[in-house]
Amino acid sequence: MKLVKIITIFLAISLSSCEEVIDLDLNEANPKLVIDASINLEEDGSTFAFIKLTTTAPFFNTNIPFVADATVSITDENGIQYPFTHSENGIYLGNLIPQDSIDYTLNINYKNELYTATTHLETAVPIEFIEQRNDGGFTGKDIELKAYFTDPAGVPNFYFFEGLSSKGDSFDALKDTFFDGNLIFGYYLVEDIAPGDTVHFNLYGINETNYNFLFTLLLQTESPGGPFETQPASVRGNITNQTNPENFPLGYFRISEVYRFSYTVQ
Amino acid sequence: MVEKSSNETLIGVNVIFPELQTGTITNEYGFYSITLPAGIYKVIFSTLGFKNVTQSIELTENTKWNLELEESTEELDAIVISQDIEKVNIRNPQMSVNALSINTIKKMPVVLGETDIIKSILLLPGVTSAGEGASGFNVRGGAADQNLILLDEATLYNSSHLFGFFSVFNPDAIKDLKLYKGGIPARFGGRISSVLDIYQKDGNRNELKGTGGIGLVSSRALLEGPIVKQRGSFLVGGRSSYAHLFLPLFNNENIAYFYDLNTKLSYKLNNNNNLYLSGYFGRDVFEIADSFSNTFGNTTLNLRWNHLFSDKLFSNLSVIYSDYYYGLTLKFVEFDFDSGIRNMNLKYDLKHYVTDKLQLNYGVNAIYYKFIPGEIHPTSETSGINAQKLTDKYAVENATYLEAEIKITEKLTVQAGMRLSTFNRLGQNELYLYENDNPITFNNDLKIYQKAPAIDTISISTSNTIKSFAHLEPRISLGYELNEISSIKTSYQRMAQYIHLISNTSSPTPFDVYAPSGKYIKPQLSDQVAIGYFRNFKNYSLEIETFYKEVQNRLDYTDGADLIANNAIEQVLLSGEARAYGLEVLFRKNEGKLQGWIAYTLSKSEQKTPGRTPEEIGINNSNWYHSAWDKTHDISVTANYTWNAKWSFGANFIFQTGQPATFPNGQYQYNGIVVPTFEKRNSSRLQAFHHLDLSATLTPSKNQGRNWQGEWVFSIYNLYDRKNAASVSFRENTNIGKNEAVKLSIFGIIPAVTYNFKF
Repeated sequence: MKLVKIITIFLAISLSSCEEVIDLDLNEANPKLVIDASINLEEDGSTFAFIKLTTTAPFFNTNIPFVADATVSITDENGIQYPFTHSENGIYLGNLIPQDSIDYTLNINYKNELYTATTHLETAVPIEFIEQRNDGGFTGKDIELKAYFTDPAGVPNFYFFEGLSSKGDSFDALKDTFFDGNLIFGYYLVEDIAPGDTVHFNLYGINETNYNFLFTLLLQTESPGGPFETQPASVRGNITNQTNPENFPLGYFRISEVYRFSYTVQ
Repeated sequence: MVEKSSNETLIGVNVIFPELQTGTITNEYGFYSITLPAGIYKVIFSTLGFKNVTQSIELTENTKWNLELEESTEELDAIVISQDIEKVNIRNPQMSVNALSINTIKKMPVVLGETDIIKSILLLPGVTSAGEGASGFNVRGGAADQNLILLDEATLYNSSHLFGFFSVFNPDAIKDLKLYKGGIPARFGGRISSVLDIYQKDGNRNELKGTGGIGLVSSRALLEGPIVKQRGSFLVGGRSSYAHLFLPLFNNENIAYFYDLNTKLSYKLNNNNNLYLSGYFGRDVFEIADSFSNTFGNTTLNLRWNHLFSDKLFSNLSVIYSDYYYGLTLKFVEFDFDSGIRNMNLKYDLKHYVTDKLQLNYGVNAIYYKFIPGEIHPTSETSGINAQKLTDKYAVENATYLEAEIKITEKLTVQAGMRLSTFNRLGQNELYLYENDNPITFNNDLKIYQKAPAIDTISISTSNTIKSFAHLEPRISLGYELNEISSIKTSYQRMAQYIHLISNTSSPTPFDVYAPSGKYIKPQLSDQVAIGYFRNFKNYSLEIETFYKEVQNRLDYTDGADLIANNAIEQVLLSGEARAYGLEVLFRKNEGKLQGWIAYTLSKSEQKTPGRTPEEIGINNSNWYHSAWDKTHDISVTANYTWNAKWSFGANFIFQTGQPATFPNGQYQYNGIVVPTFEKRNSSRLQAFHHLDLSATLTPSKNQGRNWQGEWVFSIYNLYDRKNAASVSFRENTNIGKNEAVKLSIFGIIPAVTYNFKF
């Protein structure tokens, strides 16, 4: 939750503490397959279906190896198969318009091991408007943006919220336990944002397992090793290795409705 | 037994009859009792910091002998601790305990010049913390919530201010403290690792006096005096920090401060009855610009009645109210969050000095708890947050105990006790029921733990019990005197703990809540054995102890567990076990111009959470992993040198093995986010932690004979400016697109000046 990050930053600002980049020798684990399979159904009914395959790399490496030689396809519950072909840099493209209430199964064959996952389309809601405040953040002087949407009442809903700009990205996983049925917002705060910058907001519909996955994943990136660290964990997604279960892949297979809103900072 | 000028009762005074080679010690209320054959005897009253008193007494019948002891000033001949006095301590089977006088603590150099009781006990063997700036402390490998912290017998739930940088104890209000690390007597229970028993001063019964200090970060003032001369007294002390007032100079509109208030009223009804009313109130306040504010702290109020039934039977009845409050306001999301824990505690303790060979302690204890996990209020009509109340939980914890200290032979003394503790988890609204009573399921395909859906929600009246537990806790210690100056002691204790701090960070944060045992959470149980060798030299003492401890039902958390505002905490908790063992050496110089100690601890503390069935992977693949506070080597040296009446100097040196950490062993990218992959939990370590602190205290000579006494304390924390690692973060440097390991250090070299006064 963002709360822990807030406290960590606050402490760093208000004390005589200092941060120093240090050299550490880290162990290297065997490479694992990373599957970023996110099929997004746009507001206008179109879909840009692509799946990105990479592997893990040593922590201090500057580039991430990509996988070009895997066989990727998605099959729906009626047996229709949608093949994906590699274009470049580990990105596999295919033609798939996801339908409501149909299960889709992802199949990836890599190094003679079969990886699969099954999911269906999760809906989202439109982003209605953006509210900008110029006195937000910890110093009271940062530009703070809130992207408002209305959550459907009476149904458990989960969202993945992105705020992307050239000055920085912000990600959050949201669940409606505390705001069911209300007008609520995704929060965006990046220090160097200035008038004239464009921020692209995206709201994706996800399910509970996906929410848990993203929540845990974002925890690993927000304050791993910080003074309020929660125990780092290996983040398990919904994809399994049918051939060799011990060699599980990282990443997630999701199919989401997405609503986008681009905003220029005033 | 009282201190001469203030009538403050004295704890731990040795009352020795050298000719009979026997003696006793005053208890927490300054009371002592001893049974001897009629005759004329020499008696010596002695304790550290005071002039010895030697008297001749003729005993023909039961006698009340109250005494006033005078504080000894430093420059006098050092207190002569004769062999007679040490004899009693050598024989006392109580082991694994460290008593610290507040005067010793005040002499230690500290961060920002703030005397800190918790930082001082970290210098003792067997006591460590999870890191600089970590709140709480860890005793013999135990977690921070396993310490019973008592202030005048009232339980405190949070022992620190400002995330662990300061403790909640105002040193001017404190009289005495004892830390029990093992061999815990049967009169204590409820936490499995230690008991920190702290007593406030009663207040000067003779005249109005004050003490205080002005420091860089905080100031304090305390006033004490008589209400009715010689009979009643009051004490009021306050402390507040103000460093946040300087933050606007750095363009920072944030606020962080703490304050506390200690109060006490005491009244002597007659020779056999004393009444005490103590209170403590403390708060921490944080505000970040206009978006976030946070308040939390302890409140305690207790009323105690000492009653002497006879010369041999001393009793104390306490009625205690204790409250820990935590409140949060997130203005940018427009809601308030309040949570806390409240309890009412009734205690009746009796000390029965039956003969000079037998002392019995017995009593009963009842605590009624209300756990308030949280209530969420939207603060405006347009707020997007719904009001919600997490279900309040109720419980009653009872205990009864009997302990006996028996001198079996001239050389062998035994302290044996039994405590029977029970815990009743009372009814509540919205109790979730699960299939097979299993709130967590294991997904065998994805190999992750998942929350089980509740199959039903029921409400049970608070006058019924959902689940109850009962445990017998035997405690036994033996002391065997090898010769006049040395002894061996051994002890075994079983302890039960019924409430748990829900926290998956390496050290407690204010967001952590306490959860009671119940349908889905079992009590923690520990067994500890210890053996020690104790020896007195002329001016020195040596204590060597080794211990082994096992804990059952230590709570652990599923990966990514969301603990904040979780109404069904059982869905993310797993039960594990913990163990710790080690060797502690304490070498002390107690006399002379140079005093202090060297403490060395060699230890290991680890835990494991295996899967509940062979298919489940458990936490960290069911392997043992180091606890966050495991420090293989821990060396603490503290020394104080009194040069003359004007100057005294202090020094501390601490060296510890670096704290355990989980380092990444790779990285990947998902959705444009750089994510580390990690090795086995806590399998690496940060760099070694060490620092040297110095202090110098100047007492101007014009003080002598004056009413207003002041002293200046100059201190330097971390003299050689070592940038100790409080933590190491692994993240992407977005400016250069590379991953980095970033070390956070909190305290570099920090000089400070404090002015202390008393009148």
